[in-house]
Amino acid sequence: MMTNKQTANSAGDGAILECSGIERRFGGIVAVTGVDLVIQQGEIFGLVGPNGSGKTTLTNAITGFYPPNVGTVRLAGKDITGTAPHKVATLGVARTFQNLALFNGMSVLDNILLGRHIHMKPGVMRTALYWLAAQREEIENRKIVEEVIEFLQLESIRHELVDGLPIGLKKRVELARALVAEPQMLILDEPMAGMNQEEKGYMSRFILDARAERGVSVLLIEHHMDVITGICDRMLALNYGEMIASGIPKEVVKDPRVIEAYIGGSHG
Amino acid sequence: MFYRLSGVHHADYISDSRMFKVPADRNLAVFFLIIGVAAPFIIPSLYLNSYMLPWLIWTAAALGLNLVTGWAGQLHLGYAAVMAVGAYSAIHAAKFGVPWEFALIIGGLASSVIGSLFAFAALRVKGLYLALTTLAMQFVMDWVLTHSPAISGGSHASLQSPTLALLGQDITSDAGYYYVAFGWCVLVTIFMLNLKRTGLGRALVAVREKDFAAAILGVNSFYYKILAFATSSFIAGVSGALLVATFFFLAAPEQFSVNVSIQVLAMVIVGGLGSIIGSYFGVALILLVPGLVNGLVAAGSEAIGMQINVETLAHIPNAVYGALIVVILLIEPLGLGKLYGNIREYLMVWPFDQLRK
Repeated sequence: MMTNKQTANSAGDGAILECSGIERRFGGIVAVTGVDLVIQQGEIFGLVGPNGSGKTTLTNAITGFYPPNVGTVRLAGKDITGTAPHKVATLGVARTFQNLALFNGMSVLDNILLGRHIHMKPGVMRTALYWLAAQREEIENRKIVEEVIEFLQLESIRHELVDGLPIGLKKRVELARALVAEPQMLILDEPMAGMNQEEKGYMSRFILDARAERGVSVLLIEHHMDVITGICDRMLALNYGEMIASGIPKEVVKDPRVIEAYIGGSHG
Repeated sequence: MFYRLSGVHHADYISDSRMFKVPADRNLAVFFLIIGVAAPFIIPSLYLNSYMLPWLIWTAAALGLNLVTGWAGQLHLGYAAVMAVGAYSAIHAAKFGVPWEFALIIGGLASSVIGSLFAFAALRVKGLYLALTTLAMQFVMDWVLTHSPAISGGSHASLQSPTLALLGQDITSDAGYYYVAFGWCVLVTIFMLNLKRTGLGRALVAVREKDFAAAILGVNSFYYKILAFATSSFIAGVSGALLVATFFFLAAPEQFSVNVSIQVLAMVIVGGLGSIIGSYFGVALILLVPGLVNGLVAAGSEAIGMQINVETLAHIPNAVYGALIVVILLIEPLGLGKLYGNIREYLMVWPFDQLRK
């Protein structure tokens, strides 16, 4: 039974991301099936579910890593089902990964600058004629990157290699890299995994500020229910690849099916 | 000591994106640039043309391989074949009457085209499988060269290079050859230094490190892999052509055989993957140390009045230099460039060691 199906599917004009009937199979295993979700412009949308419930598969289906076998993904009204990840990026979707995906051997600054890739035109001739062809572009993008570095308070480590940073900072660098791309839709895959309460507080504030200052819509995958109920406007719970509840977080977390999926139900 | 950061303040982004941010690095670069320009006047021409010149050209070539292996992370065991394509195309073009400036570019472009074929293998396979595929392509190129007299120049399989002429000037003097090699090496080095601070370099590293993360940032790894192969092949082609035009004077297939490919890869790995200065060191080690050890062993045995037969004498340098490579890679797997970097970092804060991170 869906609680509040209406809320989750109320596709208005302001919908930024619409998934309908998403199904993704790996061989005989159905990782995700029949998932519908609509994220409104400027909304922070929570996605929860026990391990292996298909949250990451769903994001991979949206971002084109594993195109859905059935169903469609629409970004701001445009069908992007099955579009390759590097093209999805140019359409205004940015994401972070559950297991950090920073580029080792590069500084924090270079990592974040890579987030500007879609706004730059790197090329061989431009590199050869740096002073004539690339310097201005590099400096302009550096300025935008510096704004985000200030926003996320990364000034003191900008020239350090990412390899040795503590995980909390790495997650923040990855968020910075996603934000500098100036996406319409930001997908955060467990940005607070392994963080303590204080770090979680910081990260939550950054996400709220990112929406307030940059107008970005967020799909947030999290296991921390306090974060979900604290900052998400609406949410969706998955279990075994199927939707079990969606709607206002405070109501969804009270849903017996969600409690059963997470904690195990009362038998009898 | 020497490498000081104190008192260096980058007040704007242009200054913060300089090639050399540490003054000592810049001073060293300028110093060696001056040495390079003055070399024909201070180094005897025998050393100039048998050591300095090949060192510079091989460094340019190694930097090209470093681009594809060090930056883009694609193992390449057919680099000599790509150099051969450039060398033969340029010489045939020059023989045909094309001015050398264009002949070199034709050589580079021909290499780019063939080198990009290697890239298509790289799109399908990774790591050791790519190494094997590129190695196979090296053998194919070897076979084509030795079996087509039209390319390799008749039954003796040797092709005379026409006199090099650049900017309307015939180049026949030792100093002239040296300056051509020096100029090319400087150009390639500047390109690589720029690569370190532009989006292209960052994109290549992204493809090397995590291609899925690169993809979601909008980096098309197919495109950048091909671009890496094409660019590195261009450098290889021009380097190959210059090697024949200023050093060998005769092109022969064995100059670009499979062991040469392995040697260039060794230069890059011993020097350090992704390190520019490392490529200079690596080439120096692989190219110059055998001769140096040879001289030392001969002089040493003479000094203590020991007779060493010719065969032993020929083997000692090889053994020493092989051992040297093993030792260097054991001490620092990231090669000579990293070794230099460690010393530089140590001196940067000396004597206040506790400041080191």
